[in-house]
Amino acid sequence: MNQWLDERLHISRLNDKFLRKAFPVHHSFFLGEITLFSLIILIITGIVLALSYEPSNSLIVNSFDPGTADKPNLIPAAYHSALKMNAMPFGDMMRRVHHWTANIMVAAAVIHMMRIYFTGAFKKPREINWWIGMLLLIFAALTAVTGYILPYDNYAYNTVKVVYGIAASVPWVGSWLAQAAFAGNFPGDGIIPRIYGYHIMLLPGILLALTAAHMLLMIKQKHTQPQYAKRIAYKKIVGVPLLTQQTPIMLMLTLLFAGIIMLFSAFIPVHPVEFFGPPSTTPIENIKPDWYLLWVFGALAIIPSFEFHILGGIIGSEFVGAILLPTVVIGAMFAVPMLDRSKDNNYYAENPTNHPVRLAIGTSFMALLIIMSVAGYKPDLISANVLTTANANTVLWILMFVVPAATYFATIGIVRGIRALREADERESLSHSAAADD
Amino acid sequence: MTRYRKQDPEITRRRFINAAMGTTATVGIVSLVGVLGTANPVFRLTRDKMPPVEGDILVHASASKEGEIIKVSELSEQLIRAWPMGKDKEGNNLIRKGDPNNVLALYRFPKGQIIAPTNLEATIDGEIVAYSDICTHAGCSVSDDDQTEGQMKCPCHSGQYDPKRGCKVVGGPPPRPLAQLPIKQDGDKLVVAGFFLENPYPFTESEWEARKEAVKAQLA
Ligand code: FES
Repeated sequence: MNQWLDERLHISRLNDKFLRKAFPVHHSFFLGEITLFSLIILIITGIVLALSYEPSNSLIVNSFDPGTADKPNLIPAAYHSALKMNAMPFGDMMRRVHHWTANIMVAAAVIHMMRIYFTGAFKKPREINWWIGMLLLIFAALTAVTGYILPYDNYAYNTVKVVYGIAASVPWVGSWLAQAAFAGNFPGDGIIPRIYGYHIMLLPGILLALTAAHMLLMIKQKHTQPQYAKRIAYKKIVGVPLLTQQTPIMLMLTLLFAGIIMLFSAFIPVHPVEFFGPPSTTPIENIKPDWYLLWVFGALAIIPSFEFHILGGIIGSEFVGAILLPTVVIGAMFAVPMLDRSKDNNYYAENPTNHPVRLAIGTSFMALLIIMSVAGYKPDLISANVLTTANANTVLWILMFVVPAATYFATIGIVRGIRALREADERESLSHSAAADD
Repeated sequence: MTRYRKQDPEITRRRFINAAMGTTATVGIVSLVGVLGTANPVFRLTRDKMPPVEGDILVHASASKEGEIIKVSELSEQLIRAWPMGKDKEGNNLIRKGDPNNVLALYRFPKGQIIAPTNLEATIDGEIVAYSDICTHAGCSVSDDDQTEGQMKCPCHSGQYDPKRGCKVVGGPPPRPLAQLPIKQDGDKLVVAGFFLENPYPFTESEWEARKEAVKAQLA
């Protein structure tokens, strides 16, 4: 049979080209794989969930609590279907797996990017893949946000309201843009079908296409080689082939990973739709986005209120905090490969401590995002009496500058220290061996 | 002997591919614009989507008491959320909650506490005041501030308003005060006395003027 297939499909060529692709042996190279597996789990659980989901926000009678004939209890069909899903055997579990995997996917992607950044793997010739990776991150976040909205409980309702407000805050074209994106004035009759289309067709399609491009480029360009490869065989590719060595490792990883997600999902509930109830005029106290968008939220919480009118357009704090600022941050991340001017192709993963400035910029950037995320907890910090309403903004603004700066200098200091120790070590061993030689 | 000028009658493959890609991109962008045009449905101003109009009666918006007429005696320094209730074409009662941005916030403060820039003529005896309950920042419903008595806080990005001073912004990102709604008293009922004094969320000034005209034209 192999021969029959081979004659038609040239399996042996495929084998040489792809299936023998060498994988570097280092645990940090698994992060990308975890991200990929998460995407697959998300698609599978997503399909299962879509089978029972009703993408409509028209009001129907709640079958769990129908009310009375003259005062029926009407709730949106999408919310109703989420309730029904929870009532199904393992329905709640399926939602939890989907939710947890989404969080883990973003986390794995972020750590994967950190690995790429700190080891210099974004350098020539891999710039394109860095950019595709950035797009993947952005679209993953968008997919997550649209997914949030689908259960259409009060939480989702408030979320989509803010997202609509952000889209509408773009000067000049804002209201047109928001209406086009969300099917009319908020909350139009078509809002859930629209977001459903985004979440299950458009965005996953984009994610899959980008993932395919990401992987093909990676196969074409090969991984950066870990440092030990330099010593073993200079400028040669060192690693284990996909078939048959890497595959069992991957399978193990998948199973282990799936197991961990199951464990999470079994014990940590997510987003209780019953608790938040159907959309209502009652706001939710301390509503917050997921952790990977908390920094934008924090920026909005401490930005002062202002409004400029320019040529009939309005530029307000909403636009600056929720669109301009993230654009600047993401733009800076996009620009990372362009800051490196080296002409040669980079073969080897670099030791971060050999590039103290890059390392320090990276850590202080992360410190900045963390402080901004902490600012997202401003209301909670105030109610816990850590800060007061009067001083919260000032304190958080100061922290936003001081902490990243401190992190920068601390990192550089620590790296210098490490290097000095290392050099002292080397000198010592050198003098010892010299002494032994005598 | 004839000299042939060297010429290549066929376009090269590369030229062809470039031209094809250019055409595809152009057609693609043009059709995308077309599609985006259809993505935005027409808005129809129905009576349940109208902003509060003169003569509307205020009813409770909280889930437990929704639709019950608010009595003056129920008001206090605690926020009460309300919907405007008008009439449909047949003259039946109709709660204008087709647009969730119509939700209102009602307060009653001891006399003398409500001060400028609140429009005192639009309050009832300088004691009862009504505002749009929709945060001018991104459109969340605003609540009582649990930290400071008699203040309002938006749970979304902690915008803060002072309802005794025209709901001006006292903290956080909202760009404008909440719009004040003129009200008057009719027996024990609260009645809307006119349009919002400023543009409420999500209208800009010119959009708000246009909406007021559209409402007047439809009700006339
Ligand atoms: S929506 Fe009220 S502060 Fe942002």
